[in-house]
Formats: sequence, C-alpha cells, structure tokens
Amino acid sequence: MTLPSDGPIPTGSLPGGSLPGGPIPGSTVPSGQLRTEPVLACAGVRRSFPVGERRLEILHGINLELRAGERLALMGTSGAGKTTLLHILGLLDRPTEGSVYVAGQDAWSLSARRRANLRNEKIGFVFQFYHLLPELSALENAVLPAMIKLSRRAFRSNRAEFLDRATTMLTRFGLADRLGHRPSQLSGGEQQRIAIARALLLDPPILIADEPTGNLDRGTGEKVLEILLDEQSERGVALMLVTHDERLAKRCERVLYMEDGLIQADSSAPIPT
Amino acid sequence: MFRTFLSLRYLKARKTNWIGMAGILVAVGALVLILSIMAGFLEESRRTLRGNLADLVIQPSFQSSVLQENGDWVPMQTDVERMLEIIREDPGVAAATPQLQWYGIFAPDGGESALEKPMQDAIQLIELVGIDVEGEGEATDFRESLETEFGKKPGLGKHCNVGRPADLDDPFVNLREIRQRRTRPKVPILVGEQLAYLWGLRRGQEVSLVTATYDENSSKLNETAANARFQVVGSFRSKDNETDSRRIYMDRRALADFLQRDRLWSAVLVKLNDYKRDKEAVRARLWSKLHAEGFLSAPGIRINEFRTWEDFRATLLAAIQNEKALMGIMLSLVLVVAGFTVFALLSMMVTEKRRDIGILCALGATPRGVLALFLMIGLWEAVIGSAFGALVGVLGAYNIDAIERKLSSTFGFQIFNRDIYLFDYIPAEVSVSGVAWIVGGAVFSTLLFAAIPAWRASRLDPVEALRHE
Repeated sequence: MTLPSDGPIPTGSLPGGSLPGGPIPGSTVPSGQLRTEPVLACAGVRRSFPVGERRLEILHGINLELRAGERLALMGTSGAGKTTLLHILGLLDRPTEGSVYVAGQDAWSLSARRRANLRNEKIGFVFQFYHLLPELSALENAVLPAMIKLSRRAFRSNRAEFLDRATTMLTRFGLADRLGHRPSQLSGGEQQRIAIARALLLDPPILIADEPTGNLDRGTGEKVLEILLDEQSERGVALMLVTHDERLAKRCERVLYMEDGLIQADSSAPIPT
Repeated sequence: MFRTFLSLRYLKARKTNWIGMAGILVAVGALVLILSIMAGFLEESRRTLRGNLADLVIQPSFQSSVLQENGDWVPMQTDVERMLEIIREDPGVAAATPQLQWYGIFAPDGGESALEKPMQDAIQLIELVGIDVEGEGEATDFRESLETEFGKKPGLGKHCNVGRPADLDDPFVNLREIRQRRTRPKVPILVGEQLAYLWGLRRGQEVSLVTATYDENSSKLNETAANARFQVVGSFRSKDNETDSRRIYMDRRALADFLQRDRLWSAVLVKLNDYKRDKEAVRARLWSKLHAEGFLSAPGIRINEFRTWEDFRATLLAAIQNEKALMGIMLSLVLVVAGFTVFALLSMMVTEKRRDIGILCALGATPRGVLALFLMIGLWEAVIGSAFGALVGVLGAYNIDAIERKLSSTFGFQIFNRDIYLFDYIPAEVSVSGVAWIVGGAVFSTLLFAAIPAWRASRLDPVEALRHE
C-alpha cells in the first residue's frame, strides 16, 4: 500500500503510522523493527528566537517519530537544540513552523486546555534538576498529576487509589520511609526517583527525560537509570531521553545525533566520528 | 483539585502571606469597629436631637383660603377636632394631639422693668408651648422628659433646684404650698432643665413672660404686649439641649388666654405606629386628605406645613451621616493599603515560584488553572483576614465601652470624655448588612489586587519558568 506523502490524509491505521501526513519524510525507523503506531511525532519543526532585529534559528526542520515502547536517545553537543526539541515535543514550547502529533493529534491545533490535558495524560516528564515542588511531601509530589487532572470531587473519590499507586511505586523505588519527607530533606537520587514516580503516575504512553542522571553521581545515576529503564520496558512506555552519556545511549534502541538544529545521524546509520 | 490544595499549602508554608492577611484583618476590623461606633453615635444622636419632637408635625399656614385641584379657592379650615379625626382615621397613626406654639421673652425679675431697660443678661427669648398633658404624653416623649431622673448625668442635675413636677399625671396642678396661700394662684409652667439651671430658678418661683400677640382677624401684631406672672412647678429634660434651654410648657388654654387668642392650636403632633416604615406614606396620605378638606395647601407647596421630626434636625443629622460616610471612605483607604500588600506579596511569590509554575504547566496545568491558583491564595487571605477582622471589629464594638475604660485607666487619661455628650457611654451599633458589605468589599478589592500577579503567573512561558533557578 502506497502512502501519499502530502495532502489530506485519511485517518485510521496506516502502515508507518496513523499520523495525519503519513510517514514523515526523513523520519527513520530502523529496518526490521516492528512498525507500531507513533505515539509522538513531529514534522518540519522549526524554532527560531528573535535576537535584536534578526531571528536566530535553533531547529531547522526536524522530523521525528517515536513509537510505543520505543527507547530513543537524543545526543548532541551543547547548543545543538536538544532541549528545545524536547520542549517542543513535550508541548511546552510552540514550534515556529511545523507540527507536533501526540497520540495522533495535532497538538497545536487544539485549545490550550485540551493541549494541557494531552500533556497531563500522555506525557511524563523527568527533568535533570528533578523539579519537585518544595512545599509538598514526596507522596504529594508523586500524586500531583492526578490532582491536576481531576476535579476536587473526582480526586476525592479516587484519592485512595492514587495514593496507593504512588505509595506502591515509591516503595518499589526504595522510598517507603521517605513518603512524608520534603524534597529539601532528600538526596538528589531520591528526588529523581520521586520525579520518575510522578511522571509515571497516570501511565502516560510517552516519557520525556532530559538528562535524568546529569545531576547525579555515577553510582546514584546508575540506580536511577535502572529504575527508569525497568519501568519503561515493563510499562511499554515510549522513552525519549536526552543525554550526553554514551553508555546510557547504548542502552537505547535508537540514538539520534543532533547538530546545529538538525538530526544529523540515526543509530541505524553509522555513528559519525 | 490542585488549585485548592496548593493554594492552601502555599498559604500555610509561606509566612509572608500572613502579613497580607493581617493587613486585611486590621483594615476590616477597624472599618467594622469605627463604622459601628459611628452608627451608634448617629442613632444615639438621633434620639438626643429628637428631644420632644413628634414623628410628624403639621403646622397649617392659616391663610384665608386654599387653592383646590379644580382651581376653586376654599376657605382654610381651622376646626382642630375635625382635623384630628381625619388624622386618627389613618391606619399608620398611633396618636395625635394639638399644640399651641408661640414665642416670648423670659424675664424672671419682672416683665415691665425688663422691657423698660432691656439688657441682654436679664431676658431670654423662649418658646412657649401650650399642650394637652395626656395627648402630649401619647404623641411625644413629654412624659419621659418629666420622669428623667435628675442627677444621673454628672454636673447639671444636682444644680437644678426645680425638679420633677409633683404629679406626673397632672403636672400643671399648682403646688400644694402655693394653693394654700390666700393669693390668687399664678398659671403653672414647666421649664426646661437648662433654663432652670441657667437662671437659678427654684420650685414655686414666680417669673414673668412677655410676648407680643397678634390680632387673628387682621393678622397684625397688637401693640400691647401681654405680660403676666407664672409659677414654676417643675422642670423637664428632653435630651435636646436646645429645647431644654428655651422651652416652657403650660396648659394649652392657659397659653391661649395669655395670648388673648380665640384659636387654641397652631400645630398638630402625630405619632406613628412605625415611623421608619410609614413616615413617607402617611405624610403623603394625610397631606392630600387634609388639603382636600381645606386644612393645608396642596402637598409640597408649603413644605413647612407638614414636617417629620428629621426635617427639623436635617442639618445636624446630615452632618453626622456625612461624618460616617467620610470615615468609611478614609478607612477604606486602609483596605486599599492592605490590597497593595497582598499585591506586593503575591507579585513576589509569582517571581519566586516561577519554576513551580513551569513544573505545573509541564504536568498539565492550564494557564487558567495557574491564574486560579494565585487568585485562590488571594481569596484565602481575603476570606480569612476579613472573617477574623469582622470578628475583632464586632467584638470590639460590643465591648468598646469596657475597652475604653480599661485603656483610660491604664494610660491615665480619658480617651472618651463622657461630659461632652448627653450619653455617658460609647454607643456602638453593629449592622449585619454593614459588616457583610465591608467583608464583601474587602474580598472583592483583594481579589482585584491579586488578579494582576495571578494574571502575570498565568502568562509565564513554561520553558522560561522551568529554566528559573
């Protein structure tokens, strides 16, 4: 079955994805890999910022697909545009041009409210600096996405379930005796484990991690990474990981190298030296 | 859900928010307290200013004729019995009584000599009021003004040598000791307590009253002045200083005799069942009825013909009301200052919490949700601050007298000088609707001030916010 490369696209299950626009030109899927539907994709994404009277272009047209359960590492030098791309894919930043598709929906064609819902339900974030709310305990931080998702009444009726889910996760991550602690009372590794629990609370299909071990010592980083990767594979979540760590990248199925706002290489191709 | 939860958590965790709350508490507390005291003063002053005035006072102009609606002139009626009948028929009227009012000169030491050598310190202009004791008692506070215990208020009462009349039910009966004398008894009068005090009058003392009378037929002043001796049989205290220092009561017929007048009345005093509720309705009804029967000019033509007691005291009442309004406006500025405090604290908080705002956005909070979160912090501050403020204000208002006494004794000087006023306590009247308005206004203005930083928070770029350290 041939696919149109542009023009109106019928919705439904398509080999190569159900994205409007069909398979994104330039997107790469390693040959031989099972082609599941992409949960996250972007097409022709450009991002520029005004600098004085000129505009500085950070991303020059990125096409990308992330499939369910896929583990993808995004590498590149500092300033290559990795974090900007991550923010765009996480719907935190709007591309100057191009589209972002989350679970088949063109995110920027939606209302701010529906886009926020999409972010809440479909995407889990793990940041380098953990980004926990200092006023909340470990457990409260972990259930925050549920609080944001639900109305007061709905949360109250499901409170026990969410608390239970968060407690189970935190216990599994070795934080059973830290549930009531504030972030300031916890180590970096502990905080990052809470951040992982928070990202996974609503079982999102997409997990975006921005150098999740970048702020941790090697040993702690290893432990946190084990937790992250275990959960990812266990839950079949698509993971998009920004990292500078080659060893970590090697544990991913796909590695993309970014340079000057473009994806220069894919792990299916030889890594440039 | 996160809005309520987080706003309460931020409020609890960040003690600086309590400063805003304390500001609102002080502002609302002060507003409630001061306005309650002012309302108490207004109410107490109304009672004081009213003195012996009746609810409604009808004073026909006694022209020769009255223009009717149909253009006919009809002779003005003067039959007071018919007039009282019309008035008493009205369902809003509780009582009505005729009164004869005139003016005179009070000359304790003898009228003629005072007039021959007029000296200001020997005479005083006075109000002569002829009444029917029973009717006056029903329509005004006359009876109460006779019953007032002298000496309750420090200073004045004990210096007044006249005192209550011997028989409160029949105050114009001459004193027994005077009746026992062989001489012809003089007409008994009741003098205002202040008048008695100023002139050093004694019970049973004879005084002269001088007045100019007028011929009712020609409506011209008689050249001969009426001059007679009267006997002081008692004094009264009406709460209104002005009345107490210039009014003399006597029997209505005795006054008419003194004035050599045929008509025994000049005004009708009316008491209503419910003054506040009915005053305007009864006035309108009675005015048109009395006009139709030829007693009064058309409603609104001569406003002096039909007045409420407040019309007599309009300027003073308006002055106190005005003071209350001014006080309210000035104290509302305190509320604005409290609002600015909330604004400043929330603005600081938005700046400090930029990263948290970014995190919330990353977790799926909408800009509207972020706006609501910060508005809610303002709301809690406003609600908690104004609730406690209202409580403090109401408790303060109910106990202001005790508080003042305590403070005065602690600091050794009197904050509220009770000798200045005719009431010897600090009056306060808490109005539920007033408190509700103040609390509502405080919440509204705080929300208005909180809206600006909340809006700023909702407009933050999450990426920028997440970068904030």
